[in-house]
Amino acid sequence: MAASKIQALWNHPAGPKTIHFWAPTFKWGISIANVADFSKPPEKISYPQQVAVTCTGLIWSRYSTVITPKNWNLFSVNVVMAGTGIYQLARKTRHDHFSEVQEVPAKE
Amino acid sequence: MAAFKAFWNSPVGPKTTHFWGPIANWGFVAAGLVDTQKPPEMISRNMTAAMCVYSGLFMRFAWMVQPRNYLLLVCHASNESVQLYQLSRWAKAQGFLEKKEPEGQH
Repeated sequence: MAASKIQALWNHPAGPKTIHFWAPTFKWGISIANVADFSKPPEKISYPQQVAVTCTGLIWSRYSTVITPKNWNLFSVNVVMAGTGIYQLARKTRHDHFSEVQEVPAKE
Repeated sequence: MAAFKAFWNSPVGPKTTHFWGPIANWGFVAAGLVDTQKPPEMISRNMTAAMCVYSGLFMRFAWMVQPRNYLLLVCHASNESVQLYQLSRWAKAQGFLEKKEPEGQH
């Protein structure tokens, strides 16, 4: 029955009545903010911030599988977050080191 | 020595991900502190606002998760402070925190 499945989700230990649901759900906001920032000029990207986003995403993907209750919502949001961080770092690195060939003397 | 051993072997100690997850999150605090020295034009409103809500929620998460994670709690409390400060710097640069005109409307 669909109703009992919904009930099972509603009452889940990591479900919508708990912080185990809302904290990770809100964490999607960081990835969404980062995706919105894909259109920002690379000069405005912050290396420290994006390194933090990437590393946090990778480590927390692991963390979310060993806490109680196990949290797949948290797992997925961190995987995506790491992905957005890697993309932003790639954008900024490409801009800083691989595109202004005319002004910068040859780098190895 | 005994205290160190207790920490080293703790269920939330450095041999476990319950330690390294929060350590990774200190990266946000460090990045935030570094970014306080940069011009406010570089601050991302979207990201900073998201961080403020995120750290607020995760302070609660750190308290309720099993095992309870004080390191994570302190980390997010610190991040909340840094991100709120950055948000205020952004707002000030945008003109949102101007003093009211003497000929105030209300």
